[in-house]
Amino acid sequence: MGKDYALGIAEAIHYVNDNGGINGKQIKLYQFDYGYRIPEALTKYNLFKRLKCVAILGWGTGDTEALAPTVARDKIPYVSASYSGHLCKPAKTPYNLFFATDYSTQSRGLITAWFDKKWPQKPDYGKRKPRIAMCYMTASAFSSASIKAAKEQAEILGFEIGPDQSVSLFAIDTKSQILALKEFKPDVLLHTNTVMSVAATLRDAYALGLGADHLIKCWGYDENLPKLAGKAAEGAMGCAPWAFFGLDVPLMDKVVEYAKKYNPGVPLEKRTIHTVQAWASVLGLAEALKRADKAGDLSGEGILRKGFETMKDFEIGLGIAPVTYTATDHRGQSQAKIT
Amino acid sequence: MHRKSIILKCLSVVSIVVLLGGCAGMMTKPTQKNFKAPVVTLDSMEVVHAFGYWYFSKKVEPTKGKPDNVGAPLNLAFIFNVENPNDYPVKMENLKFTIAFEEFDLNTVSSTETMWIPACKTNQVRVNAHFDVRQSLLSLLVTGGFKLKEKGTNVWAQLEKWWTEIPQYSVPVHVKGGAAVFKADGLTKVTTFEATFPE
Repeated sequence: MGKDYALGIAEAIHYVNDNGGINGKQIKLYQFDYGYRIPEALTKYNLFKRLKCVAILGWGTGDTEALAPTVARDKIPYVSASYSGHLCKPAKTPYNLFFATDYSTQSRGLITAWFDKKWPQKPDYGKRKPRIAMCYMTASAFSSASIKAAKEQAEILGFEIGPDQSVSLFAIDTKSQILALKEFKPDVLLHTNTVMSVAATLRDAYALGLGADHLIKCWGYDENLPKLAGKAAEGAMGCAPWAFFGLDVPLMDKVVEYAKKYNPGVPLEKRTIHTVQAWASVLGLAEALKRADKAGDLSGEGILRKGFETMKDFEIGLGIAPVTYTATDHRGQSQAKIT
Repeated sequence: MHRKSIILKCLSVVSIVVLLGGCAGMMTKPTQKNFKAPVVTLDSMEVVHAFGYWYFSKKVEPTKGKPDNVGAPLNLAFIFNVENPNDYPVKMENLKFTIAFEEFDLNTVSSTETMWIPACKTNQVRVNAHFDVRQSLLSLLVTGGFKLKEKGTNVWAQLEKWWTEIPQYSVPVHVKGGAAVFKADGLTKVTTFEATFPE
């Protein structure tokens, strides 16, 4: 996932530079793999400061959470691929931004979509409450980020909520969790882990005949899911805020063209939605930089106030819904795209 | 005399053709047509630092400092030959590649320092890559679980094998999906490369 995202970041920067950069200024990209080592992420951040970088394109929950107080103090915009809802509160994390549907909105959207579309087709519809259970790594801030919001939404809609199943992000065998769920007989499961662990859970649920539908947050729902889970993934619903790689949406032709041009050694069939989401991060940041530069203020605060927070229904393309930021709400989107 | 003159003329023409068409010639202006992709090949891989194989979870109290999940580092360096076949200098802007131990992709590294390569010369570039047991453990666990199971091994056995055998150069290390970006007078060429060391 990280590799495909990193390739997409570099390719999108080439695209921005080839198209005039930031109002004529070329972007210089420094790119490092911190290997999930938080101390290294902090060290690289210090280097970026020394190099006078105007903004940072970060990665996951680890680096984003560790650096949130520091980027707020230093006023350096940090556009990451961690989409926790709590990063959307300008009072707490003003310089953390992202171009995606936040995890809480994704989970609420998934549960609501299933309730509206799938539940009425079930034989027990109207006879009893629908039953939902959640599979995630309880010890992971990433996996558990949207569970509270998901349960609140399920309660509002009148679900019966079953026992949480702690599924490791590294799980390849989840039979004990599936067997534990059989007594509860869920109609639907919400998965918030990454794709390998989600695929393992779907496979075991299918093999053990659990009979539940599946709802999957963005990191578990990519091109690799059907490859890893096979038939067990059929009918699963997921939230993909961006288009899958290669789909016919605005700018995808450029995504594919730059993938071919700059990384011809990586077969296109191995590219994924994570490249597309990287493009969304770069193009969103580039737009903020252009607006701030036009206003004559490329300081961190200028990029935030005169760049990001001036975006209202900004269309990036790539299948992502229009983006709006305000001074009081950094949720870029209030709608979840469910497929 | 006449025959000698003809031979001299022929030799002159041949010499001029050679001078204009090959690397020994005068510098020409880069064009889309004459810009040949530079060639990148792996010269060697060096184990720069090896610290054995060990791993401590954060439950273990260290002698000094704070406990953390930490594992033995393994630092490798990849030395590439970058050959410029053009009779004008080219600038290498970026070189990146993925490193795989056996069939597992573990790290993607790059060199973003710009480098000018003179006409018809070969430069060398060294790219350092840091690995450690913790980072590789996470990488394997998040994406490689099914593949390890198919291989009939487990993550700890696999890591121990690599950390003990790579310093002996007995496990193949693969360079995959390599791409280097070259510029000449506003024109761009991307060269791909793959390699294995030891072969």
